[in-house]
Amino acid sequence: CSMAGEEDFFLEEKRFKQYCEEFIKHSQQIGDGWEWRTSKDLGDGYLSKTHFQVRNRNIPPDLKEKSDNNEQMLFTRVEESLDDSQVAGVCATEEVIRYEYHVLYSSSYQVPVLYFRACFLDGRPLTLDEIWKSVHACYQARLLEGPWDTITQQEHPLLGQPFFVLHPCRTNEFMSSILAGSRKQNRHTNYIILWLSIVGPVVGLNLPLSYAKLGPERNTN
Amino acid sequence: MTDDKDVLRDVWFGRIPTCFTLYQDEITEREAEPYYLLLPRISYLTLVTDKVKKHFQKVMRQEEVSEIWFEYEGTPLKWHYPIGLLFDLHASNTALPWSITVHFKNFPEKDLLHCHSKDVIEAHFMACIKEADALKHKSQVINEMQKKDHKQLWMGLQNDKFEQFWAINRKLMEYPPEDSGFRYIPFRIYQ
Repeated sequence: CSMAGEEDFFLEEKRFKQYCEEFIKHSQQIGDGWEWRTSKDLGDGYLSKTHFQVRNRNIPPDLKEKSDNNEQMLFTRVEESLDDSQVAGVCATEEVIRYEYHVLYSSSYQVPVLYFRACFLDGRPLTLDEIWKSVHACYQARLLEGPWDTITQQEHPLLGQPFFVLHPCRTNEFMSSILAGSRKQNRHTNYIILWLSIVGPVVGLNLPLSYAKLGPERNTN
Repeated sequence: MTDDKDVLRDVWFGRIPTCFTLYQDEITEREAEPYYLLLPRISYLTLVTDKVKKHFQKVMRQEEVSEIWFEYEGTPLKWHYPIGLLFDLHASNTALPWSITVHFKNFPEKDLLHCHSKDVIEAHFMACIKEADALKHKSQVINEMQKKDHKQLWMGLQNDKFEQFWAINRKLMEYPPEDSGFRYIPFRIYQ
Protein backbone atom coordinates (compact mmCIF):
# COMPACT_ATOMS: atom_id res chain seq x y z
CA CYS A 1 0.00 0.00 0.00
CA SER A 2 2.63 2.54 -0.96
CA MET A 3 1.37 5.92 -2.09
CA ALA A 4 3.80 7.33 -4.60
CA GLY A 5 3.27 11.01 -5.26
CA GLU A 6 1.04 11.73 -2.25
CA GLU A 7 2.38 14.06 0.32
CA ASP A 8 2.70 12.50 3.74
CA PHE A 9 1.25 14.44 6.63
CA PHE A 10 3.28 13.17 9.52
CA LEU A 11 2.37 14.56 12.88
CA GLU A 12 5.29 15.86 14.88
CA GLU A 13 5.24 15.22 18.60
CA LYS A 14 5.22 18.93 19.46
CA ARG A 15 2.19 19.43 17.23
CA PHE A 16 0.55 16.39 18.82
CA LYS A 17 0.83 18.07 22.24
CA GLN A 18 -0.50 21.36 20.89
CA TYR A 19 -3.53 19.74 19.31
CA CYS A 20 -4.17 17.78 22.51
CA GLU A 21 -4.04 21.00 24.51
CA GLU A 22 -6.63 22.56 22.20
CA PHE A 23 -8.70 19.41 22.44
CA ILE A 24 -8.64 19.36 26.25
CA LYS A 25 -9.67 23.00 26.43
CA HIS A 26 -12.76 22.30 24.39
CA SER A 27 -13.51 19.12 26.32
CA GLN A 28 -13.44 21.09 29.53
CA GLN A 29 -15.82 23.70 28.06
CA ILE A 30 -18.42 21.12 27.17
CA GLY A 31 -17.77 18.68 30.00
CA ASP A 32 -16.71 15.84 27.73
CA GLY A 33 -14.47 14.27 30.37
CA TRP A 34 -11.06 14.17 28.65
CA GLU A 35 -7.94 14.89 30.66
CA TRP A 36 -4.23 15.08 29.99
CA ARG A 37 -2.05 12.68 31.94
CA THR A 38 1.72 12.56 32.20
CA SER A 39 3.90 9.62 32.98
CA LYS A 40 5.95 10.18 36.14
CA ASP A 41 9.40 9.24 34.91
CA LEU A 42 9.11 10.29 31.28
CA GLY A 43 8.03 13.57 29.83
CA ASP A 44 5.43 11.80 27.72
CA GLY A 45 1.78 12.57 28.11
CA TYR A 46 -1.49 11.28 26.75
CA LEU A 47 -5.20 12.00 26.56
CA SER A 48 -7.46 9.93 28.76
CA LYS A 49 -11.18 9.45 29.14
CA THR A 50 -13.36 6.95 30.97
CA HIS A 51 -17.01 6.35 30.27
CA PHE A 52 -19.68 3.73 30.72
CA GLN A 53 -21.71 1.98 28.09
CA VAL A 54 -24.72 -0.21 28.44
CA ARG A 55 -24.86 -3.47 26.56
CA ASN A 56 -28.11 -5.30 25.90
CA ARG A 57 -27.77 -9.00 26.43
CA ASN A 58 -31.14 -9.88 24.90
CA ILE A 59 -31.56 -8.97 21.28
CA PRO A 60 -35.25 -8.30 20.50
CA PRO A 61 -36.68 -10.95 18.11
CA ASP A 62 -37.35 -8.56 15.19
CA LEU A 63 -33.78 -7.26 15.27
CA LYS A 64 -32.50 -10.82 15.37
CA GLU A 65 -34.04 -11.46 11.96
CA LYS A 66 -32.62 -8.29 10.45
CA SER A 67 -29.17 -8.73 11.82
CA ASP A 68 -26.86 -10.86 9.65
CA ASN A 69 -24.75 -11.86 12.57
CA ASN A 70 -26.86 -13.14 15.40
CA GLU A 71 -23.98 -12.93 17.76
CA GLN A 72 -23.54 -9.23 17.17
CA MET A 73 -24.11 -7.54 20.47
CA LEU A 74 -25.97 -4.30 20.43
CA PHE A 75 -24.62 -1.36 22.32
CA THR A 76 -26.74 1.45 23.53
CA ARG A 77 -24.67 4.60 23.36
CA VAL A 78 -25.10 6.57 26.50
CA GLU A 79 -24.70 10.23 25.59
CA GLU A 80 -23.80 11.47 29.01
CA SER A 81 -21.59 9.55 31.37
CA LEU A 82 -23.59 7.56 33.86
CA ASP A 83 -22.93 8.42 37.44
CA ASP A 84 -22.72 5.72 40.09
CA SER A 85 -26.38 5.86 41.07
CA GLN A 86 -27.49 5.63 37.48
CA VAL A 87 -25.17 2.70 36.87
CA ALA A 88 -26.67 0.80 39.77
CA GLY A 89 -30.13 1.38 38.38
CA VAL A 90 -29.46 -0.39 35.08
CA CYS A 91 -31.60 -3.49 34.90
CA ALA A 92 -30.34 -7.04 35.07
CA THR A 93 -30.69 -7.92 31.40
CA GLU A 94 -28.33 -5.13 30.54
CA GLU A 95 -24.67 -4.89 31.44
CA VAL A 96 -22.58 -1.87 32.10
CA ILE A 97 -19.10 -1.79 30.67
CA ARG A 98 -16.46 0.65 31.76
CA TYR A 99 -14.32 1.90 28.87
CA GLU A 100 -11.06 3.70 29.36
CA TYR A 101 -9.56 5.37 26.26
CA HIS A 102 -6.02 6.70 25.92
CA VAL A 103 -4.56 8.66 23.02
CA LEU A 104 -0.80 8.29 22.84
CA TYR A 105 1.79 9.48 20.35
CA SER A 106 3.74 6.91 18.35
CA SER A 107 7.24 8.09 17.48
CA SER A 108 7.71 5.12 15.16
CA TYR A 109 4.69 5.90 12.99
CA GLN A 110 4.51 9.63 13.81
CA VAL A 111 0.77 9.40 14.36
CA PRO A 112 -1.55 9.26 17.38
CA VAL A 113 -2.64 5.82 18.56
CA LEU A 114 -5.85 4.83 20.34
CA TYR A 115 -5.48 2.45 23.25
CA PHE A 116 -8.43 1.26 25.33
CA ARG A 117 -9.51 -1.23 27.91
CA ALA A 118 -12.95 -2.41 28.86
CA CYS A 119 -14.31 -4.30 31.83
CA PHE A 120 -17.60 -5.16 33.45
CA LEU A 121 -18.49 -3.58 36.77
CA ASP A 122 -17.31 -6.64 38.65
CA GLY A 123 -13.84 -6.08 37.21
CA ARG A 124 -13.90 -8.83 34.60
CA PRO A 125 -12.14 -7.53 31.52
CA LEU A 126 -13.64 -8.07 28.07
CA THR A 127 -11.90 -10.64 25.90
CA LEU A 128 -10.49 -9.82 22.47
CA ASP A 129 -13.35 -11.78 20.97
CA GLU A 130 -15.92 -9.71 22.86
CA ILE A 131 -14.17 -6.53 21.74
CA TRP A 132 -14.22 -7.64 18.10
CA LYS A 133 -17.91 -8.49 18.36
CA SER A 134 -18.64 -5.08 19.86
CA VAL A 135 -17.15 -3.19 16.92
CA HIS A 136 -19.97 -1.24 15.32
CA ALA A 137 -21.89 -3.11 12.61
CA CYS A 138 -20.79 -0.79 9.82
CA TYR A 139 -17.12 -1.55 10.51
CA GLN A 140 -17.48 -5.31 10.91
CA ALA A 141 -16.73 -6.06 7.26
CA ARG A 142 -13.48 -4.10 7.41
CA LEU A 143 -12.58 -5.74 10.72
CA LEU A 144 -13.16 -9.21 9.34
CA GLU A 145 -10.77 -8.50 6.45
CA GLY A 146 -7.97 -8.54 8.94
CA PRO A 147 -8.87 -8.56 12.63
CA TRP A 148 -5.30 -9.35 13.66
CA ASP A 149 -4.09 -6.21 11.86
CA THR A 150 -6.81 -4.03 13.31
CA ILE A 151 -7.51 -4.51 17.01
CA THR A 152 -5.31 -6.61 19.28
CA GLN A 153 -4.08 -6.61 22.85
CA GLN A 154 -0.76 -4.88 23.45
CA GLU A 155 1.30 -3.62 26.32
CA HIS A 156 0.56 0.04 27.05
CA PRO A 157 3.87 1.83 26.29
CA LEU A 158 3.75 4.02 29.40
CA LEU A 159 1.76 1.99 31.92
CA GLY A 160 3.08 -1.45 30.96
CA GLN A 161 -0.39 -2.98 31.35
CA PRO A 162 -2.50 -4.89 28.82
CA PHE A 163 -4.66 -2.64 26.66
CA PHE A 164 -6.44 -3.09 23.37
CA VAL A 165 -5.08 -1.01 20.53
CA LEU A 166 -6.30 0.16 17.16
CA HIS A 167 -3.32 -0.52 14.89
CA PRO A 168 -1.72 2.70 13.64
CA CYS A 169 0.06 1.47 10.52
CA ARG A 170 -2.73 2.70 8.20
CA THR A 171 -3.42 6.02 9.96
CA ASN A 172 -1.15 8.06 7.73
CA GLU A 173 -2.92 6.73 4.63
CA PHE A 174 -6.38 8.01 5.42
CA MET A 175 -5.26 11.13 7.27
CA SER A 176 -3.10 12.31 4.36
CA SER A 177 -5.96 12.34 1.89
CA ILE A 178 -8.22 14.27 4.26
CA LEU A 179 -5.55 16.75 5.30
CA ALA A 180 -4.57 17.38 1.67
CA GLY A 181 -8.11 18.60 0.99
CA SER A 182 -8.24 20.70 4.10
CA ARG A 183 -4.87 22.28 3.32
CA LYS A 184 -6.07 23.30 -0.14
CA GLN A 185 -8.96 25.15 1.46
CA ASN A 186 -6.68 26.91 3.93
CA ARG A 187 -8.69 25.51 6.78
CA HIS A 188 -7.26 25.07 10.24
CA THR A 189 -7.72 21.51 11.31
CA ASN A 190 -6.96 19.91 14.61
CA TYR A 191 -5.36 16.60 13.65
CA ILE A 192 -6.49 14.93 16.86
CA ILE A 193 -10.14 15.92 16.44
CA LEU A 194 -10.13 14.82 12.81
CA TRP A 195 -8.43 11.52 13.55
CA LEU A 196 -10.43 10.68 16.68
CA SER A 197 -13.74 11.46 14.99
CA ILE A 198 -12.82 8.82 12.38
CA VAL A 199 -11.36 6.01 14.50
CA GLY A 200 -13.22 6.55 17.76
CA PRO A 201 -16.66 5.34 16.61
CA VAL A 202 -15.15 2.00 15.57
CA VAL A 203 -14.62 1.24 19.24
CA GLY A 204 -17.55 3.01 20.82
CA LEU A 205 -16.03 6.45 21.25
CA ASN A 206 -18.01 9.33 19.78
CA LEU A 207 -17.05 12.98 19.68
CA PRO A 208 -19.78 15.58 20.12
CA LEU A 209 -20.16 17.74 17.01
CA SER A 210 -19.08 20.90 18.80
CA TYR A 211 -15.46 19.80 18.42
CA ALA A 212 -15.78 20.54 14.71
CA LYS A 213 -16.22 24.21 15.46
CA LEU A 214 -12.69 24.61 16.82
CA GLY A 215 -10.13 26.80 15.17
CA PRO A 216 -10.14 30.07 13.23
CA GLU A 217 -13.09 30.90 11.01
CA ARG A 218 -13.03 29.47 7.50
CA ASN A 219 -11.99 31.83 4.75
CA THR A 220 -15.00 32.71 2.68
CA ASN A 221 -14.48 34.20 -0.76
CA MET B 1 25.57 -9.32 5.51
CA THR B 2 27.49 -12.48 4.46
CA ASP B 3 30.36 -11.55 6.81
CA ASP B 4 27.96 -11.54 9.69
CA LYS B 5 26.41 -14.91 8.91
CA ASP B 6 28.26 -16.61 11.77
CA VAL B 7 27.02 -13.99 14.20
CA LEU B 8 23.50 -14.28 12.85
CA ARG B 9 23.58 -18.05 13.29
CA ASP B 10 24.93 -17.76 16.85
CA VAL B 11 22.14 -15.35 17.74
CA TRP B 12 19.49 -17.53 16.11
CA PHE B 13 20.62 -20.76 17.76
CA GLY B 14 21.14 -19.35 21.27
CA ARG B 15 19.46 -21.53 23.87
CA ILE B 16 18.63 -21.34 27.58
CA PRO B 17 18.32 -24.59 29.55
CA THR B 18 15.12 -24.35 31.52
CA CYS B 19 13.34 -26.41 34.18
CA PHE B 20 9.55 -26.09 34.28
CA THR B 21 7.81 -26.92 37.55
CA LEU B 22 4.06 -26.98 38.14
CA TYR B 23 2.82 -24.48 40.71
CA GLN B 24 2.28 -26.31 44.00
CA ASP B 25 -1.35 -25.18 44.44
CA GLU B 26 -2.46 -26.61 41.09
CA ILE B 27 -4.67 -29.64 41.65
CA THR B 28 -3.23 -32.85 40.22
CA GLU B 29 -4.24 -36.48 40.14
CA ARG B 30 -0.64 -37.65 40.51
CA GLU B 31 2.63 -35.96 41.26
CA ALA B 32 3.88 -33.67 38.52
CA GLU B 33 7.48 -34.21 37.48
CA PRO B 34 9.45 -31.17 36.37
CA TYR B 35 10.01 -30.77 32.63
CA TYR B 36 13.33 -29.76 31.10
CA LEU B 37 13.64 -27.88 27.82
CA LEU B 38 16.21 -25.88 25.87
CA LEU B 39 14.44 -22.62 25.03
CA PRO B 40 15.39 -20.59 21.94
CA ARG B 41 16.42 -17.08 22.98
CA ILE B 42 14.82 -15.46 19.97
CA SER B 43 11.40 -17.09 20.33
CA TYR B 44 8.39 -16.61 22.61
CA LEU B 45 7.38 -18.72 25.63
CA THR B 46 3.92 -19.59 24.38
CA LEU B 47 5.28 -20.56 20.98
CA VAL B 48 7.73 -23.19 22.23
CA THR B 49 6.03 -24.74 25.25
CA ASP B 50 3.37 -27.02 23.76
CA LYS B 51 5.23 -30.03 25.15
CA VAL B 52 5.37 -28.42 28.58
CA LYS B 53 1.62 -27.87 28.51
CA LYS B 54 0.94 -31.45 27.42
CA HIS B 55 3.27 -32.85 30.07
CA PHE B 56 1.48 -31.14 32.96
CA GLN B 57 -2.02 -31.54 31.59
CA LYS B 58 -1.47 -35.33 31.71
CA VAL B 59 -1.60 -35.22 35.51
CA MET B 60 -4.44 -32.71 35.80
CA ARG B 61 -8.19 -32.92 35.37
CA GLN B 62 -9.66 -31.06 32.35
CA GLU B 63 -11.71 -28.73 34.54
CA GLU B 64 -8.61 -27.58 36.42
CA VAL B 65 -6.94 -26.34 33.26
CA SER B 66 -7.38 -22.93 31.71
CA GLU B 67 -4.91 -20.59 30.01
CA ILE B 68 -1.29 -21.44 30.77
CA TRP B 69 1.01 -18.76 32.13
CA PHE B 70 4.54 -18.68 33.46
CA GLU B 71 6.12 -17.09 36.47
CA TYR B 72 9.64 -16.65 37.81
CA GLU B 73 10.14 -16.01 41.54
CA GLY B 74 6.66 -14.56 41.86
CA THR B 75 6.79 -12.38 38.75
CA PRO B 76 4.48 -13.27 35.86
CA LEU B 77 6.58 -13.64 32.70
CA LYS B 78 5.47 -11.58 29.73
CA TRP B 79 5.27 -14.09 26.92
CA HIS B 80 5.37 -11.26 24.36
CA TYR B 81 8.97 -10.47 25.32
CA PRO B 82 11.55 -12.72 23.60
CA ILE B 83 12.73 -15.55 25.86
CA GLY B 84 16.33 -14.33 25.86
CA LEU B 85 15.15 -10.90 27.01
CA LEU B 86 13.10 -12.41 29.84
CA PHE B 87 16.08 -14.42 31.02
CA ASP B 88 18.45 -11.45 30.85
CA LEU B 89 15.97 -9.25 32.72
CA HIS B 90 15.03 -11.66 35.48
CA ALA B 91 17.57 -14.43 35.91
CA SER B 92 20.87 -13.64 34.25
CA ASN B 93 22.77 -13.74 37.55
CA THR B 94 21.42 -17.06 38.71
CA ALA B 95 22.67 -20.56 38.04
CA LEU B 96 21.32 -22.60 35.17
CA PRO B 97 18.92 -24.21 34.53
CA TRP B 98 16.44 -21.36 34.64
CA SER B 99 13.56 -22.39 36.92
CA ILE B 100 10.15 -21.37 35.67
CA THR B 101 6.86 -22.10 37.44
CA VAL B 102 3.86 -23.14 35.35
CA HIS B 103 0.30 -22.03 36.18
CA PHE B 104 -3.07 -23.05 34.79
CA LYS B 105 -5.33 -20.93 37.00
CA ASN B 106 -5.82 -17.34 38.14
CA PHE B 107 -4.49 -15.74 34.98
CA PRO B 108 -3.06 -12.32 36.00
CA GLU B 109 -5.22 -10.08 33.78
CA LYS B 110 -3.53 -6.89 34.88
CA ASP B 111 -0.03 -8.07 34.03
CA LEU B 112 -0.14 -10.39 31.06
CA LEU B 113 -1.54 -10.29 27.56
CA HIS B 114 -3.74 -13.23 26.71
CA CYS B 115 -2.45 -15.85 24.31
CA HIS B 116 -5.30 -18.11 23.30
CA SER B 117 -3.75 -19.23 20.01
CA LYS B 118 -0.64 -19.03 17.83
CA ASP B 119 -2.44 -16.31 15.85
CA VAL B 120 -1.95 -13.96 18.78
CA ILE B 121 1.81 -14.55 18.78
CA GLU B 122 2.00 -14.15 15.02
CA ALA B 123 0.07 -10.87 15.18
CA HIS B 124 2.38 -9.56 17.90
CA PHE B 125 5.53 -10.62 16.07
CA MET B 126 4.40 -9.08 12.78
CA ALA B 127 3.39 -5.86 14.53
CA CYS B 128 6.94 -5.59 15.93
CA ILE B 129 8.45 -6.24 12.50
CA LYS B 130 6.20 -3.59 10.94
CA GLU B 131 7.02 -0.99 13.55
CA ALA B 132 10.73 -1.64 13.10
CA ASP B 133 10.38 -1.21 9.35
CA ALA B 134 8.48 2.04 9.84
CA LEU B 135 11.67 3.34 11.42
CA LYS B 136 14.12 1.70 9.00
CA HIS B 137 12.40 2.16 5.66
CA LYS B 138 9.26 4.23 6.27
CA SER B 139 7.43 0.87 6.01
CA GLN B 140 8.25 0.62 2.30
CA VAL B 141 10.00 -2.75 2.40
CA ILE B 142 7.46 -4.52 4.63
CA ASN B 143 4.50 -3.09 2.69
CA GLU B 144 5.93 -4.09 -0.69
CA MET B 145 6.21 -7.71 0.44
CA GLN B 146 3.42 -10.12 -0.34
CA LYS B 147 1.38 -11.89 2.31
CA LYS B 148 3.26 -15.09 1.57
CA ASP B 149 6.56 -13.39 2.45
CA HIS B 150 5.15 -12.27 5.79
CA LYS B 151 3.96 -15.84 6.33
CA GLN B 152 7.40 -17.23 5.49
CA LEU B 153 9.03 -14.92 8.02
CA TRP B 154 6.66 -16.11 10.70
CA MET B 155 6.91 -19.80 9.76
CA GLY B 156 10.71 -19.53 9.81
CA LEU B 157 10.55 -18.33 13.40
CA GLN B 158 7.86 -20.79 14.44
CA ASN B 159 9.68 -23.80 12.96
CA ASP B 160 13.20 -22.69 13.85
CA LYS B 161 14.29 -22.48 10.20
CA PHE B 162 17.20 -20.04 9.93
CA GLU B 163 17.48 -20.04 6.12
CA GLN B 164 13.74 -19.74 5.56
CA PHE B 165 13.57 -16.80 7.97
CA TRP B 166 16.60 -14.93 6.64
CA ALA B 167 15.56 -15.35 3.01
CA ILE B 168 12.90 -12.72 3.83
CA ASN B 169 14.53 -10.90 6.74
CA ARG B 170 17.60 -9.96 4.69
CA LYS B 171 15.38 -7.64 2.62
CA LEU B 172 14.36 -5.89 5.84
CA MET B 173 18.03 -5.53 6.76
CA GLU B 174 19.17 -3.97 3.49
CA TYR B 175 19.20 -0.39 2.34
CA PRO B 176 19.72 1.16 -1.12
CA PRO B 177 23.42 1.60 -2.06
CA GLU B 178 23.01 5.38 -2.35
CA ASP B 179 21.93 5.59 1.31
CA SER B 180 24.45 5.31 4.11
CA GLY B 181 22.11 3.28 6.29
CA PHE B 182 18.59 2.94 7.64
CA ARG B 183 16.54 6.07 8.15
CA TYR B 184 16.46 5.24 11.85
CA ILE B 185 17.83 2.21 13.69
CA PRO B 186 15.13 0.58 15.80
CA PHE B 187 16.03 -0.73 19.19
CA ARG B 188 14.22 -1.20 22.47
CA ILE B 189 15.71 -0.68 25.89
CA TYR B 190 14.42 -2.66 28.87
CA GLN B 191 15.35 -2.25 32.49
